[in-house]
Amino acid sequence: MSYWICQLSGWGLFTLMKIFATVEAADAPWLSTTVAFVLLHSAGLGFTHALRGFMRRHHWSEAGTWKLVWRGSAASFILAVPLAVANSLSPVSTVDAQGFTPVLALLVHLINWAFLFMVWLTIYFTTITIRRHRAAALRQSEMARALQHAELRLLKSQLNPHFLFNALNTVRALIAEDTTKAQRAVTRLANTLRYTLGAGQHELVSFERELEMVSDFLELEKMRFEDRLTIEREVAPDLGSARIPAMLLQTVVENAIKHGIAELPAGGTLRIRADLQDGALVLEVENPRPLSATRPLSEGTGLRNAEERLRLLFDSRASLELDLSQPAIATTRIRIPQHS
Amino acid sequence: MRAIIVDDEPPARRELRRLLSEYPWIEIVGECGNIEEAAAKTEALMPGLLFLDIQMPGGSGFDLLSRLEHLPQVIFTTAHDEHAVRAFEVNALDYLLKPIDPARLAASLSRVRKESLAPPPEPRGDAPLQQLFVRDGAQCWFVPLREVRLLTSEGNYVRLSWGARRPLLGRALSTIEQRLDSQRFFRANRRQVINLDFIENVELGINGRLHVQLRDGPEVEISRRQARLFRSQMSI
Repeated sequence: MSYWICQLSGWGLFTLMKIFATVEAADAPWLSTTVAFVLLHSAGLGFTHALRGFMRRHHWSEAGTWKLVWRGSAASFILAVPLAVANSLSPVSTVDAQGFTPVLALLVHLINWAFLFMVWLTIYFTTITIRRHRAAALRQSEMARALQHAELRLLKSQLNPHFLFNALNTVRALIAEDTTKAQRAVTRLANTLRYTLGAGQHELVSFERELEMVSDFLELEKMRFEDRLTIEREVAPDLGSARIPAMLLQTVVENAIKHGIAELPAGGTLRIRADLQDGALVLEVENPRPLSATRPLSEGTGLRNAEERLRLLFDSRASLELDLSQPAIATTRIRIPQHS
Repeated sequence: MRAIIVDDEPPARRELRRLLSEYPWIEIVGECGNIEEAAAKTEALMPGLLFLDIQMPGGSGFDLLSRLEHLPQVIFTTAHDEHAVRAFEVNALDYLLKPIDPARLAASLSRVRKESLAPPPEPRGDAPLQQLFVRDGAQCWFVPLREVRLLTSEGNYVRLSWGARRPLLGRALSTIEQRLDSQRFFRANRRQVINLDFIENVELGINGRLHVQLRDGPEVEISRRQARLFRSQMSI
C-alpha cells in the first residue's frame, strides 16, 4: 500500500515538474508535451515496478552493499536504453538535448534515465533498510517481554503463595505461643525462599542440598498441620553427591501434601524413599489420598512441569510416574540417571 | 454473639482465637477442622457468626455454606483465595487475609456488630429462614428471602425468582417450606410458593381459582383448595 503511494506520488510529481519546465523553457505545446511525459514516465513506473519484482525474486536486499551498487547501476543502464530511445524519438527530446547531434542526444537521455533509476533504487533500498531495522527492534523488545513473562510465571509458580502466606500465619501464631519455635520457623522459611529464588530451571544440584530444602519445607508444613502430618524418610546413606534438578523433589512433595494430606481431615503419613539403582537415583514419594470421586483428581500442573523438565534435561533416560493403582494411596516414582 | 471458627490448621485457629480475645462480645463456641464437623456443629450450636477458611479437607468453605440449613453471618479467612470470595456477584461477603491484620479484623467485626443490631435477632432453632446461600454453576449468592418473590419446585430443586435472577437451589421445596416465614410466604399451588409482599393484584378466575399477579414476575394461579385459605389470611 505505502509502496504504491510512494510510486504514484513520486512519479506523478516528477511528471508534473517536467511538463511545466518543458512548457516554460521551450515554449512547447501543452498537449503533446503532457502526453509524451505521461507515457514516458508511466513506462518508467512500470519498469521500476518490474525491477522491484525481479529484485525480490532474486533476494537483492540480502546482498552486500558493493554488490548491490554494481547490480543497481547495471540494471539502471539496461532499463534506461529503451526509454532513452523512446525519449529521443519523442517530441520532447529537444528539451534536455538541445542542439545536440542525434547520437549525442541519445547518450544524454541514456545518462539521464540511468541516473533517475539509480535515485529510485537508492530511495527504495533506504526505505527497506529503515523498515527492517524498525521491525527487528520491535521483535526484539517483544521477545524480551515474552521472556520476562515466562520468568515471572516460573517464579510465581515456584513461590507458591498459598504455602507462603499460611506459613507466615503459622509464624504469627507461634510468636505468641513459643518464641524459640517461631524463630526456628522464620529461619526455615528464609532457607526455603532463598533456595526457591535461586533455583534455575535447568540447574542440577546435589541431592543432599535438595533434601535439606525439602526437610526445611516439611518442618514448616508440620508446624501448620501438626498431628495431621507424619513424615517418614528412608534415604540410602551414600546419596549425598547424586545430582538432581533443583526443586524437583520439592515439587513432588508439595504436590503430595496439597492433593493428599491437606485434603484428608485426619491427614496421614508422607513417605520419602531414595536409593541408587543401576546408576540411577530412584526417588519415591508416597502419600494417602482422598477416595471421594466427586472431586476430579487434579494432580496438577506441578507434576506435569516436573516431568517436562526431566524430559528436557535427560530425554527418555529419566522418568516420572504417578501410580494411583492403590485405592487410597498415591505414589510418585522418579528415576534420574547419574554419570552423564 | 456466638461464633465458630472453621480452619483445618490448628495454629491458624489458635491465632484467630487469640485475636478475637480482645472482643468480649464474641463468644467462641466451637472450632472445627473440616466441613463435616463444621456442618454438624453449626446446625447444633446455631452460632451468629462463622469464621470460615476456604480450602479445607473434604470440601471448600462454599461447599459448607450450600449445605447449611441455618445460615449465620460469614467472614471468610484465607491465605490466598480472596479472588474466590471477590467473585461473589451480589451481597459480597467479607473476607480476611491470613496472616490477619488486627485493624482489618476490627473493621469486619464492627460491620458484623452493626448488622446484628439491626432487626433480625440472633436466630433460634424455630425462627424462620432469613437468607439462603445459593450456588448455581460458577456463581454464588446470599439471597435474602424477603427479596424472593416466587419459589417454584423443579423436581428435587427449587427455582428462586429473585430480581432478574433465577438461581436454582439444591434442595426440595418441601424441605424449606416449613422454615419459611408464614407471615410472608404462601403456598399457592402444588409447585409454587409466593411472597405476599410482591402481590400486585388478585383476580377471580373460573372454578373459584384465584389469579395473582406478582410485581416483576409471572402470574400465579392459586388452587381452589388454597384459595379459601388465601382469602381468610388476606381477609378478602
